Amino acid sequence: MDNSNKTGLAQFADNLKSVKSSFVGSFSRGGWPTSDKGRTSTVVNNFFLHLHTAKTHINTLKPSYTLGMGLISFFLLVIAFISGGFLMVYYSPSTTTAFNAVKDINFVVFGGQLMRNIHKWSGEAMIIFVILHMVRIVYTNSYKQGREFNWVIGIVLLILTFVLNLTGYMLPWDQLSYWALVIVANIAAAPKELTDIFNGMFGITLPDIGGATKEVLLGGTEPGQESLTRVYLLHILLLPLAICVFLGVHFFRIRKDGGLTRPANVSAGSGESIISPPEKKGGIFPTHKTYGLMELSKGRTPAVDTDIENTVTSWPNLFIAEIAVFMFTLAAVVAYSYFFDAPLKEYANPMIPENPAKAPWYFLGLQELVSYSAFMGGQGLPGLALAGLIAIPFLDRENRDIGIWFTNKQGKAIAIESFIVGSVAVIGTLAFVVTQGWFREWWPEIHQLWIVAINPGNLLLGFVMVYTLWVIKRTNSTRMGAISLITFFLVCYVILTYTGTVLRGPNWVFYWSPSDWPIH
Amino acid sequence: MNSRFYLSLMLISSLVLMAFLAIAFNREMTPVWKDYQTEYKETLIKNAKDDGTRERAEKIQVGLQQIYIKALNKSDRCTSCHAGVENPLMAAAEVPYKQHSGNYLKNHPLPKFGCTLCHRGQGRALNIAEAHGEEHQHWDFPIVPAKYIQSSCASCHDYKMLETEGGEKVAKGEKLFREKGCLGCHKLNGVGGALGKDIAGIANKAYYYFSMAAVVGERNMYSWIKQHFDDPRKIVPESQMRAFLTDEEADLLTTYMLTFRTDEMPRSYRLIKNIDKVATDGKSMYTAYCSACHSDGKTSVYDEIFARTIPAIRNPSFLKTISNSELKRIVKEGRKGTQMTAWKSEAAGLTEKQIDEIVKYVAKDRPSEKSRPFNVAKIKSDIERGAEIYNNRCALCHGEEGKGGENLLGMTLRDSALSPEFIAITVRDGRKGTPMVPFGNGGIGLSNQEIADTVAYVKNLTNDKK
Repeated sequence: MDNSNKTGLAQFADNLKSVKSSFVGSFSRGGWPTSDKGRTSTVVNNFFLHLHTAKTHINTLKPSYTLGMGLISFFLLVIAFISGGFLMVYYSPSTTTAFNAVKDINFVVFGGQLMRNIHKWSGEAMIIFVILHMVRIVYTNSYKQGREFNWVIGIVLLILTFVLNLTGYMLPWDQLSYWALVIVANIAAAPKELTDIFNGMFGITLPDIGGATKEVLLGGTEPGQESLTRVYLLHILLLPLAICVFLGVHFFRIRKDGGLTRPANVSAGSGESIISPPEKKGGIFPTHKTYGLMELSKGRTPAVDTDIENTVTSWPNLFIAEIAVFMFTLAAVVAYSYFFDAPLKEYANPMIPENPAKAPWYFLGLQELVSYSAFMGGQGLPGLALAGLIAIPFLDRENRDIGIWFTNKQGKAIAIESFIVGSVAVIGTLAFVVTQGWFREWWPEIHQLWIVAINPGNLLLGFVMVYTLWVIKRTNSTRMGAISLITFFLVCYVILTYTGTVLRGPNWVFYWSPSDWPIH
Repeated sequence: MNSRFYLSLMLISSLVLMAFLAIAFNREMTPVWKDYQTEYKETLIKNAKDDGTRERAEKIQVGLQQIYIKALNKSDRCTSCHAGVENPLMAAAEVPYKQHSGNYLKNHPLPKFGCTLCHRGQGRALNIAEAHGEEHQHWDFPIVPAKYIQSSCASCHDYKMLETEGGEKVAKGEKLFREKGCLGCHKLNGVGGALGKDIAGIANKAYYYFSMAAVVGERNMYSWIKQHFDDPRKIVPESQMRAFLTDEEADLLTTYMLTFRTDEMPRSYRLIKNIDKVATDGKSMYTAYCSACHSDGKTSVYDEIFARTIPAIRNPSFLKTISNSELKRIVKEGRKGTQMTAWKSEAAGLTEKQIDEIVKYVAKDRPSEKSRPFNVAKIKSDIERGAEIYNNRCALCHGEEGKGGENLLGMTLRDSALSPEFIAITVRDGRKGTPMVPFGNGGIGLSNQEIADTVAYVKNLTNDKK
């Protein structure tokens, strides 16, 4: 604008009048986008939005394809971060004040109980949704074509989710915290079971790795102030940092790998449901080509030159979907938190063990396995299970039928078959153990090595492995093996967790329901 | 794509979210204490007799109340509901508006003592169930029932003062505790038998320390302690506790037991007018440590709970055969295989001097004439003959293995410390006042030789490791 004719004061007055529009303009740069170009630059120019691609494939927006599991997991983390920040205002990580601080959050902080519930339940819900997200990835064959390592990062995120939840469980310093810490420390010390067996067997003494791990974790030989300090540091600093970094890499890789997977042929369906249908004429996107920085770098960039006609601008299509899922997640967490209070038991008492002393529910499947053998249940089997999961994309490399649920009819059949066979195997194993006992009950004098080597957990894992190989042999497809394996994993985790949570009472004795537990 | 689905999801979710935020907000804004305080204020205004009172009542601000006591690190929010505890106008009101009974608050001002110091419960909590520590609220120390509340007085006061100045129940309980001989089996502060549990600090034990399976009514420490007096074996099936108490006595003892707390009051809270002296004369100590099992010690009684016969240790005919030093040894070392505790200072915690006093009291009624000696060592004994006599004559009461025990009237004979002469004299002369009749010339008529044979067999049983 030519301001040369105006006085300084008049200029100032003009600027003052237009301060609203100029401020909004400086904030949003392009203003409300009305064209594809505008929509694209909105995405590219905004720090938060630019994590997305400018255009999104319609298959990504299909709720029935992703079920929103990954997004829900992420939003749960966001909710947990925010509510966690709120709780940190009041919490203090000392064995003498932590319990009272949590009590005060419950009793006198405005909205404190609700916030604590939200933090607790969003964190624990993450476990469920991260696992479901993983299962979705396998069922839709989405761990291939450059996504192999992102799957590994996903497993790391799963582990971080578990450990974040676990460390949070210990902070209130009540009976649950204390005895869960004892259990976890004992699981950390589980290699002792193995080293003890070999000690003196061949005239050698193995270092007590388990005991050392336990001491590092606890900052001593039993839980106390030092342990709480460590757990707190992990929970509020190291693990959140780690999960942010890995999540960043996870998202970055999704983009670099060309967004979410999708089947080769997608029909757009009725165009009416698209808020701003692609402009066929004009705009910066020819219908047959997309450009990106990817073109400057080497390697495959699956987004380029493929399926352009089936993409829509991310603004607003993708963002509406994301906001909707966020609102859904938040509403669900708040509603659940309104009705269900996060547990808080008596102040930690080292003299009075909880009976049954249980880890948090998401580890009770493992605790069931620990009840057979501390080392195998606590470290060996979960380690092997994770290794097996990590190996999936490297052992199944059939690059066909990406992005299709269960690949084909056979895949669906295999999933159902594995579900049934897995359920029968797990329930059968549990029923056998509960009714018949195991080696220790049959031969009380038996050497522990036999139990470490042969216990129901190991047999179950062995069965799963053999069955998966048989599926591969029978169907002549590694893909079917992957479907079978992840189904077994899900079934085992759910049934074992249910058993450990509901069916095991004081002294880890079997009861049909907690209401049957003897009154202490 | 699918925008209608997402838009409706967003809309519905937002509405649900807002609805829940609204009801959560409402829940936060209407805590139960607000109702109580408002009602308290309205009652005051309604009942005001003059304008001044009414004005003061109208000025009351409804809000969260808290008594913070730095010295005790306590935050008691009880007055948020119990708003009238200090108001004499509420003397006749209902709980929770009622004024505190008695004149306790005069000497125990709220800002210094708060509420939970005496009443326990959860001071920080602001709802009834958690504040009172009701069952399933995960609070180890629920509110103390009114009938046991005097137990808290003993945290700061001596029993002599309590006797006359408002703590008569706990003072009576303390006396009863000694009279009933609880220490015979239970250790308290290092002194007492080992048969029962150590009861030091019992009033600070967590909920899960107590087995609540058979407790009737509200399951908490108070019910447990009271009901374990009423029927010990109902509460703890394997218990051997001998408790024969009236309901009132059980309440008094419960009150006293609740004084066994581990949280010590700061010096500035305590008011001790007299140093409580525990009587250390023989009779008092016999009552405190021995009488629970031995009663007055004059007659031996078969005890159903112990499943054996408890000896009459103050029976003159027994004392005739046993010397003080022998008695002292038994008191000090206890009797292996029976319920008798070793009372030496390393075990049950009695000093040498105290044991001497007790032995002196036990042996008070020893007849001046001694038993005729019985020189067993001089007689050459025949164990096989002894076995025959033992099985015919003795085994009926003492058992075939000489262990005494269940449904047997006799004592155990398998204490290596029992001298052959002691046994021989007892067999010959019997024990007056007990089922043990004289087997010697004055009674059944066994010869000294036969008695010596029997004694030899009995001593041989002791060597037998069975």
